[in-house]
Amino acid sequence: MDIKNQIKALIQEAELYRTQGLLKESKTKYKAILALIKTNVQIQNRENLLAGVRKKIVAIDTEILKLAKAPSVIEVPEKIQDLIKKQFAFAAKDEDSGAVEGAIALAKFGQFDRALKEFNLLLDKDAVRVVAAKNIIRCHMTHTSVENAVAEYEKWLSGDKFSSTQLINVRSFLGDILAKKGITQVLSPVPEKESSSALGKAADEELQEDDYLDISAIKITLDVGPQKGRSLEFDVNFQSGNTLSLIISSRDKSLIENLDVGLKLNNVQFFSPIAIFEGTGIVAEKTQIGTGPKRGDYSLDIKILSTN
Amino acid sequence: MAIFNLKNREIECKIVYYGPGRCGKTTNLEYIHKSFKKQVAGEMVSVNTEGDRTLYFDFLPLGLGQIKGCDVRVQLYTVPGQVQYRSTRKLVLMGVDAIVFVADSLVIRREKNLLSLKDLQDNLKEYNLSIFKIPLIMQYNKRDLAKQGMPLMTIEQMQRDLNRQLKVPFFEASALAGQGVGATLKECLKLTLKSLQKQTKWAE
Repeated sequence: MDIKNQIKALIQEAELYRTQGLLKESKTKYKAILALIKTNVQIQNRENLLAGVRKKIVAIDTEILKLAKAPSVIEVPEKIQDLIKKQFAFAAKDEDSGAVEGAIALAKFGQFDRALKEFNLLLDKDAVRVVAAKNIIRCHMTHTSVENAVAEYEKWLSGDKFSSTQLINVRSFLGDILAKKGITQVLSPVPEKESSSALGKAADEELQEDDYLDISAIKITLDVGPQKGRSLEFDVNFQSGNTLSLIISSRDKSLIENLDVGLKLNNVQFFSPIAIFEGTGIVAEKTQIGTGPKRGDYSLDIKILSTN
Repeated sequence: MAIFNLKNREIECKIVYYGPGRCGKTTNLEYIHKSFKKQVAGEMVSVNTEGDRTLYFDFLPLGLGQIKGCDVRVQLYTVPGQVQYRSTRKLVLMGVDAIVFVADSLVIRREKNLLSLKDLQDNLKEYNLSIFKIPLIMQYNKRDLAKQGMPLMTIEQMQRDLNRQLKVPFFEASALAGQGVGATLKECLKLTLKSLQKQTKWAE
């Protein structure tokens, strides 16, 4: 191919890439054209051609810069926020936990103002108050400021919406976040009279918050019995709070025998959409399924005892 | 994961169009929105940024009507393809039931295809899903650019790159012209419903 046609073909390619939005690829081609023209001094209108190609490269660079400066988080219209809230709340067990998941989804998509609005509404619901409060703190830490997060806590402390137990929980959560960020902020203490007995309850409530983590699967490593050392993965069939229901095939007789009610599982991995965490559990119930397509198989309930 | 309401005989499932940036994921949905009006069950929603690049996702709900006694609804999503939006891709992938991997046939995008497929595999793993088990269709897009003299990979090469181990159904396409878009979707729906039927035995 002669040089003229070669350049023509390269320009065509470069332009196509540009129209496709493949700007770096387009720029690479234009630079190749530039190099080709520079090494061929006999080309007609060489200087005009060089100027034209350089102009194209500048235009592409401008476009690339414009894209680089474009915000990675944008506030979307309310209609789309409603969609995010509805479509990204998965496997919610009830209306309140669905609302929490929807609000979390909004925050994950950078819709912090709307997420804060939703979480604030959820503060009125006792069952999800602490989860909502923690997410309000997270939103402020990400989107506004540490001061706003602390101010929210102080506001709740001076109000009457939260119980002492709940406030201890939230204070502990906020304290941990601040400590991890190396911020030495002194948080006002929760009034003492309920605090000591509330601590134990707070630990239970802390565990219960994990209920709102949708666990899709677990991996158990048996540490006792004839199947010691065996690792098994199960999909979670159903979750109610901190109890997970699994199905074990009737064909796995030795496993069924091994997993007796009361057996403590010290080595469990819990898989949720947002994290994998380790902990312990106990076999709470074991029932053989009497009807339906899974008849003969066993339904096993694993209660989560602790998580790391 | 699919939502089953066996009492009301309703099934809702999620298909995600995945692939590198500018490969034609949004174009696929735009074509479906324009051409399959009977099945489209709502507005197409796009959240994009400069240069019409998808920023969060595109969303298109479809209603397939009654299939084996169940009212089947499908939600189509696309993800943003640019490398920096990995966390958004992971979010959008949550609860996915099937995937259409849209690959760019341009030679110059070969590496991007491979990186995007790896990214998909990694993101699925984080949801405890396997790229080898989830219903998956390959679409080799932009085949029409060969007519404009653009250097394209052969189908054989794309198969070697992307489908050698997966061995999933594949379709040539030109999403801009609509070629292959319907066939890709149809096969994906077929695989999805087969998979869901196996999980729930709803048709029994």
